[in-house]
Amino acid sequence: MVRDVQNRMTERSDDRWILSVGIDIGTSTTKMIVSRLRLMRTSSVLSLPRYDIVERELLYESPIYSTPLKSADEVDADGIWQILAREYEHAAVRPEELKSGAVIITGETANKRNAKRILHLLAERSGDFVVATAGADLEGLLAGKGAGAEERSLRIRGAVANIDIGGGTANAAIFQRGKPIGTVTFHVGGRLIQVDTGGAITEVSPSIRRWLNASGYRLEPGQRVSFEVLQQICSAMSRNMLDYLAGYASADQEPVRALLLGEPLSPMPPIEEWMVSGGIGRLMEEAKPNGLADTAVHGDIGPLLAHTIKELSSRYAIRLVKPDQTVRATVIGAGMQSTEISGATVHLDESALPIRNLPVQKLEVTPHLLAHTEHLAQAVSQTMRTAAGLFDAEASPPFALAISGLRPLTYASLQRLSETIYESFIAYFPSSGVIVVVCENDIAKALGQALAKRAGAGPKLVCIDQIKVEHGDYIDLGQPVAGSMIPVVVKTLAFHNRVEVTDV
Amino acid sequence: MKLTAALFGNTYSFKDLKEVMAKANEEKSGDQLAGIAAADAKERMAAKLVLSDLTLADIRNHPLIPPETDEVSRVIEEAVNEKIYAEIRNWTVAELREHLLRQDTHNEEIRRISRGLTSEMVAAVTKLMSNLDLVQAAAKIEVTTHCNITIGQRGVLAGRAQPNHPTDSIRGMKASLFEALSYGIGDAVLGINPVIDSAESVKAMLIATKEEMEKWRIPTQNCVLAHIKTQMRAIRQGAPADLVFQSLAGTQDGNTAFGIDVKLLDEADDMIRREGTGTGPNLWYFETGQGSELSSEAHHGVDQVTLESRCYGLAKKYKPFIVNTVVGFIGPEYLYDSKQVIRAGLEDHFMGKLQQVPMGVDVCYTNHMKADQNDMDNLAVLLAAAGVNYIIGVPMADDCMLNYQSTSYHDIATLRETMRLRPAPAFEKWLEMMGIMENGRLTPIAGDPSIFM
Amino acid sequence: MNRTIPLDQLVDKVMAELQKKLPAALQNAASQPAANVTESRMPSETGSADDFGPPISHVPNAKWAEGVEELIASTPARIGVWRSGTRPLTREMLKFRCDHAAAIDSVYGTVSQPLLDEFGLFTVDTYFENIDNYLKRPDMGRIIRDDGVERIRRSCRMKPQVQIVVSDGLSANAVDANLRDVYPSLLDSLSAHGLSLGTPFFVRGGRVAVMDHIGDIIEPEVLVLLIGERPGLVSSRSMSAYMCYRPRKGTVESDRTVISNIHPRGTPSLEAGAHIGSVLKAMLEQKTSGVNLDI
Repeated sequence: MVRDVQNRMTERSDDRWILSVGIDIGTSTTKMIVSRLRLMRTSSVLSLPRYDIVERELLYESPIYSTPLKSADEVDADGIWQILAREYEHAAVRPEELKSGAVIITGETANKRNAKRILHLLAERSGDFVVATAGADLEGLLAGKGAGAEERSLRIRGAVANIDIGGGTANAAIFQRGKPIGTVTFHVGGRLIQVDTGGAITEVSPSIRRWLNASGYRLEPGQRVSFEVLQQICSAMSRNMLDYLAGYASADQEPVRALLLGEPLSPMPPIEEWMVSGGIGRLMEEAKPNGLADTAVHGDIGPLLAHTIKELSSRYAIRLVKPDQTVRATVIGAGMQSTEISGATVHLDESALPIRNLPVQKLEVTPHLLAHTEHLAQAVSQTMRTAAGLFDAEASPPFALAISGLRPLTYASLQRLSETIYESFIAYFPSSGVIVVVCENDIAKALGQALAKRAGAGPKLVCIDQIKVEHGDYIDLGQPVAGSMIPVVVKTLAFHNRVEVTDV
Repeated sequence: MKLTAALFGNTYSFKDLKEVMAKANEEKSGDQLAGIAAADAKERMAAKLVLSDLTLADIRNHPLIPPETDEVSRVIEEAVNEKIYAEIRNWTVAELREHLLRQDTHNEEIRRISRGLTSEMVAAVTKLMSNLDLVQAAAKIEVTTHCNITIGQRGVLAGRAQPNHPTDSIRGMKASLFEALSYGIGDAVLGINPVIDSAESVKAMLIATKEEMEKWRIPTQNCVLAHIKTQMRAIRQGAPADLVFQSLAGTQDGNTAFGIDVKLLDEADDMIRREGTGTGPNLWYFETGQGSELSSEAHHGVDQVTLESRCYGLAKKYKPFIVNTVVGFIGPEYLYDSKQVIRAGLEDHFMGKLQQVPMGVDVCYTNHMKADQNDMDNLAVLLAAAGVNYIIGVPMADDCMLNYQSTSYHDIATLRETMRLRPAPAFEKWLEMMGIMENGRLTPIAGDPSIFM
Repeated sequence: MNRTIPLDQLVDKVMAELQKKLPAALQNAASQPAANVTESRMPSETGSADDFGPPISHVPNAKWAEGVEELIASTPARIGVWRSGTRPLTREMLKFRCDHAAAIDSVYGTVSQPLLDEFGLFTVDTYFENIDNYLKRPDMGRIIRDDGVERIRRSCRMKPQVQIVVSDGLSANAVDANLRDVYPSLLDSLSAHGLSLGTPFFVRGGRVAVMDHIGDIIEPEVLVLLIGERPGLVSSRSMSAYMCYRPRKGTVESDRTVISNIHPRGTPSLEAGAHIGSVLKAMLEQKTSGVNLDI
């Protein structure tokens, strides 16, 4: 699907487009997309400039490749690069044109060795600002966005869940009124149990063994099973997962507990609609398998699992809806939905950009802190000390200081705040050459100006705003667009550990 | 043409028709700012006396702004039906006033006469009418129009839902729109003033309003009040617009200041007929307001009532679905206080109706004017009595984007109940279907915007 | 150039994410700032929100109560207000009237003299005479009185790069509420951009186009006028910054660049002040302002 990629530069000059790539390297398949994001001024000419991403257009979708492997769990990085090089050519983009985007390494491929190779490769050969991400929470969120669950949740009252089910895991992300409210991952996938058309088990993934034991099944490679037994297993696995999401089963008890990977869901409102994306989502659209021969066409239980979920899910008081995307949900989420844009009145030292994988440390500046100098100094110092303990103090920058609150702010308190931040940063990070500050409210230019007054020829400053980040997030900061703002990718990871500070 | 009058032992003589017209106006700060107002109350009355004896032919024969140099004058001239004009050319302005007020002069007669009148004649007679004259004469005139539904029928008071938002947020706009609909407001138009005058922004809001119209099957029409060129760009990009909008001035120079001329309006007219989504035949929405020509120094020494009347003469050419004067928006240098705003509101409504223009009024004021919400209550009641086609509905009368106060969703609902007026019939049927209205009264669920979520 | 953290370190971090090993210290830190939250409030804000509290739904038996709250949160418009018969509820009506009261009072207010003294601003008058006349005769607010012209000639540095002028305009309140923040932030942004400032002063009874008369007298390269806006109900203390390259008699409106709606709940005054320096810099570079300025 090539859509006029060449024409992208002929738009009106007040349109600013950035090209964004998404790459999904999974256990069994690899795919990429190229999209463009349109930035438009969304503030009136009488206001401070503010731009938003107003349009996300999919320009190119690659075919779905089998992930090239060197061994069972080692990705062939050169093979990946060959695919990408060919696809960049098909899409008619040069890597240096790519201003944003994300590569996501998913499923069982997401081990350290693979991540290292792929990151090396992309850092050397790919675009300026293609960021690497991983983690089941993020994967689930991106898939939920790509599948359309986030958008759908704005149209109905209740919560909408997307369950992205691939070969090894099922990542569920739940959205309500456009906001993510939870993610959870299950050991549910099409390739967890591999079987041939004769019913001989060829492989059982270690990750599903605990659940199989807890559920009373004994499966070993070489063993022969009937279609009915596979049906029972798929049915039990699907029911455990769906019961849990529907709130009928608790994570405290086996076998549900054995099916969960990582943290359970935090308490949340009932789900009104759900959808299934990923490879299993696509198989749900195909014909239902009627025996071992139909089931094992790919050598695994995928088709049977897909249809079991399809049939079971219709028995709940939750509507099953079709996702916008199935197998490409994650890559589309990564390529089109991962980037935000900072405010357009910011303070930037361009030579410090881009910055990748910067951990976030948060400071909530309350009116009380602004009114009490000594308390402010304590809070800032505490934040810096924590950051110094967690992150590499030599790094430039070591972390991003995320400041929320600050409204309303007077000139005098701004000066005090910047003095405190600067002094404390220098004390804890004396050899760091870059300070990064991310403000929630529109104040970055003034704060940057105040910090710059103090920094002089000292550390470089990147002070941006109108980006909401939390403890545990990592951010990537791209190079300036039109000189005045930068693309930002916020990688939300600590979903379960997030501390919500309610605004007053 | 006799331009002198003897009064209180003095002889008042006026240089020309322009001076008589200006000085015959009720007191307006805008005419004073332009330096053309009567010096005192006696001179004002002398001018009214002179004006009352002038004939309609006198007025036509002495153009205030020559058609040779002004295209608005040409549009007005070209619209005159010569046969009907010939029948009434020798009437004095006083006789025209009395004719309009006679018990046996009904809608049909007025509609016929109006075809022989110029905008200047209409302005002239207005200057001789009291507020109650303006109410009574206007109440006789029924101007109905149809875009997707018909409004303007006798006994109907429609409302424009004006769900503006300070940053053009679609969600915020819809929130205010839902509130409007839940009070039974929105039959005149779902009309949004955008902050950002860009085709994308206009398109996004047209699509968003259309979406709700289709989702809830709302019988009404949508419009985004950007500059006409921006709307045309949006429509070319596929935006669904039932109506197109433009602000009008009463002189060619005034329209130049708005960035428009007759040629551009003709072009837009052609476009909305070909590419608009409205059923028609009435596909335009115009806004006007006394003082705009002076503010752009395009008034040619003509008073603001006459210039306002000329706006309606221009509007008529395009057979608009709705027109409203934004009466108190412009500020105290044109309309100083509530007395002047109330007068102007009644004048504008009457002058529009007499020219067969489907008049609504934005009953409004700004905070540097000597007026408050009580004055708006008063004017709204007067206009409802005068048969105004529609007024503006803003949440609690406070427009959080344009920073002025108008009339509220509550006010329109109240006027309907107290003055025994109804929403447009097609819209009322829909309100009944939604359970918001029964027998012309709001039901217990009315006022709950979450009906539309 | 140390632009990114070393790759190995990056990989370690990504892997740490993968394994969801969020350091325990981070979690402890997360709750730290919240512990310092107290009830302390900032000095009174604009609008009646402080007195009436944040808007909440008054719709009884709403079809979807949370939905109404979501709608209210999405707009500053007064919605979800409910009714008695077809009329507004009393408190909502009074809240509206309070906001209107604040708005009209700010038109008739005067700027605090100590504030002007604090920034060393001397005062000149236009021909406005009194507020009523000011409202009726905008032309008179565009001309400085002769004694004021004399004072300007005596006190001001002529032909400066940047001239700052402050005026009450339609809201003296706006100057009182914003000057203390916007003005020093603006001075900082001038020095950050290496721009030099003339002698600032205050104009009582000024209209926007008074810039042209001042431009004729002082002949600055660029002029910034910080002036009180027509008060609205959302804020009676809103200020605008009008900027113009070489303002002179006959300058048209489209030659002026404006940042409006500067007040504590609108355009943040500190950020506006910081941004003005960049705008002036662009004007000086491009030798133009208003619609022709590319920023």
